[in-house]
Amino acid sequence: MRNDIKILIVLALSISLMSSAGCIGGNLAKNEKPVIVFAEQGWDSVRFHDAVAMFIVENAFGYGVEEVGGSTSVTYAALLSGEVDVFMEMWTDNLAFYDADVADGKIIELGTNFDDNAQGLYVPRYVIEGDAARGIEPLAPGLESVSDLRGLKSVFKDAETPGKGRIYGAIPGWQVDEIVYRKYMLYGLADDYCYFSPGSDAALAAAFASAYEKGEPIVGYYWEPTWLMGKYDFILLKDAPYDPELFMEGGCEFPAVPCTICVSTKTPGKAPDVVEFLKKYRTSSEITSKALAYIADNRATTEDAAKWFLREYEYVWSGWLEEKQIKAVKAAL
Amino acid sequence: MGPFNWLLTFPSALTIDTGPIVDDAVASLSRAWAPLFSLMGNALLGFVNSIQSVVDIIPWWVMLGIVFALGWRLTRRASRGAAYAFMLLIVGILGLWELMYITLGLVISSVLISLAIGLPIGILASGSRRAESLIKPALDAMQTMPTFVYLIPAVMFFGLGKVPGVIATTIYAVPPVIRLTSHGIRQVDKEVVEAALSFGSTRAQVLFKVQIPLALPTIMAGINQTLMMAMAMVVTCAMIGVKGLGYEVIVGINRLEIGRGLKSGIAIVIMAVLLDRLTQGWFSAGDKLKEKDE
Repeated sequence: MRNDIKILIVLALSISLMSSAGCIGGNLAKNEKPVIVFAEQGWDSVRFHDAVAMFIVENAFGYGVEEVGGSTSVTYAALLSGEVDVFMEMWTDNLAFYDADVADGKIIELGTNFDDNAQGLYVPRYVIEGDAARGIEPLAPGLESVSDLRGLKSVFKDAETPGKGRIYGAIPGWQVDEIVYRKYMLYGLADDYCYFSPGSDAALAAAFASAYEKGEPIVGYYWEPTWLMGKYDFILLKDAPYDPELFMEGGCEFPAVPCTICVSTKTPGKAPDVVEFLKKYRTSSEITSKALAYIADNRATTEDAAKWFLREYEYVWSGWLEEKQIKAVKAAL
Repeated sequence: MGPFNWLLTFPSALTIDTGPIVDDAVASLSRAWAPLFSLMGNALLGFVNSIQSVVDIIPWWVMLGIVFALGWRLTRRASRGAAYAFMLLIVGILGLWELMYITLGLVISSVLISLAIGLPIGILASGSRRAESLIKPALDAMQTMPTFVYLIPAVMFFGLGKVPGVIATTIYAVPPVIRLTSHGIRQVDKEVVEAALSFGSTRAQVLFKVQIPLALPTIMAGINQTLMMAMAMVVTCAMIGVKGLGYEVIVGINRLEIGRGLKSGIAIVIMAVLLDRLTQGWFSAGDKLKEKDE
C-alpha cells in the first residue's frame, strides 16, 4: 500500500517535471528575441493600450512581452533605470519632472497616444436633470459651471463635517491635485465645502460608482477616458476657457493633456522595429473610452478588448504596420 | 500533451466565474440597505469624532508630560520617561503634531471597538470548543485576506473617510485580542478552576474572579498586539481618504518625495514604539505589583 503511494507520487512528480521542462524549452525556442516590458500604472486605459501593443509586438514582431504593474512613480523609476521598456500612456501633466527628464535624455518620448481627453469636476447628470426612470429629483437644476457650486453645499453634504459640503479632490501626489485645490480656493468654495482627498484612485472610483448606483449627489475630480465615465452618465462642470496664464492658479478649465508613449533609453538598441511601430501608435480618447466600456459591459479581459479593437478598428491600426506585419496580426486574431 | 492535457493544466470546464455574482451582490446590497448603512456609518462617525475631540483637547505640553510621567512610573526610571517624551517631541519638531493627533484618535477608536468586539468573543471561544472551531478559521481569513479586497466594498457601503477606515482597521486588528484572550483563559491551571468550583463558586465567578485575572498578562499581550496591528493599518487607511500621518506617506510616495515619506514614516514608528512600550510597561508594572503582594 505504502509502495503504491510512493510510486504514484514519483510518477506524478516526473510527469509534472517533464511537462514543465517541455514548457521552458518551448519558451526558450520561441523567445530568441528579448522581452519587451510594458508598464501598467494601475488604471484601465493603460491596461487596454498595453494589451493592444503587446498583442502586436508579440504576434507581428515576435518579441516576448511582459506587463509590470506598480504605481506611476514606481514604474516611472523603473523606466528611468531601463527595467521597464514602454509607457503606453504617460500623463505628462501628472509628473512634475517629465519635461526635464525628456530634455535631459533620461527617457525617450516617441509620440502622442491621444490628446483629446478631459478632466475636471464632474457631477452625475441626474443631479442637474433628475432621472424620472429611477425616481430621482433634480437637486441642482441650475448647476452648470464650477462657480455655480457656491450655495449648493446642502446638496453635496459632507457627513464628516456638519454644515459643509464635500468636493472630492484628485489623487494625492498627482499634479492636478494641487491645481484642483487652488481652483477650490480661488472660486471661494472653501467656505462652503471641504476639499476631501480620496487617497487613491480605487477609492475615488468606488465613491463615484457607489454614489451613482444609489442615486446620491456627488461632485469631484475625475478624468476621461475611464471605464467609470464610459459606463455612467456624468457631466463635466464648465469652467473659464483655457488660459495658460491662469491655469496653474486653477482659474480655467483643464486643457487636454497629451498622453505620450515613452520608452527607456535602452529600448531602441534592444528592439528598433518596436520603437518604429510605437512612434506611429495613435488612438483617441473616444476609442479608449469605447474599449473600456466594452470591458465594463461584457466583463471582458483587456486581451478581449484588444482583440475587439483590432477587429473593429483596422483602419486605425493598419497604418502603424507594414503589410507583412498586418497579415501576422490578422492571422493571430 | 494531447489527450492528457487535463492532467497537466486545470480543466477549464471546472471553473466557475464567481466574480460577477459578488459584484452584483455588493452593488445591490449597497443600494437596498443604503439607509441602514448610513445610520451605522453615522453612529460610528459620532463615536470616532468624540474620541478625536477628547484627544484634541490635550495640549502638546500636557501630552509630553503624560508620556514622561507614564514612562517614569512604568519603568521606574526618570531617564526612560525623559527619553520617551523626547521621542514624542521629535514628532512635533518634524511638524507633524496635528497629524499625529488625527492618527492617534483613529487608532484609539479602532482599538476600543476591537476590544469591545474581541474580548467577549475571546471569552466565548475559550469556553466552547465548537465556537472556537468556527472562530479560528474566520480569524485566519481576517489576518491574511489582502486589505484592499474588503476596503473597497467598505467604501461602497460607507463612503470614503474615517468610517471605512475604522472598520477596516478593526477587521485587521481584532484577531490577536480574540486569540490571546481565549488562549490565556484556556491555559489557566485546571486545578485552580476545580478548586474554585469546589468552594462553591458559580461559573461566572470562576470566569471573572479566577480565570480572567490569571489570564490577564496574556490578554494584555493580545491588547498590545491589537494596538500594533491598528498602527500597521495607518498607511492603508490613508488610501481611502483617512487623513493623518499615513496620508503624508501616501503623498510623499506618490510624488517620489522621499524625505516627506520618511519624515512621516519616522513619526509613525515613534508613535508605534511609544504605544508599545507604554502599554507593555503597564502590563509588566502590573506583574511587579502582583509579585510584591505575594
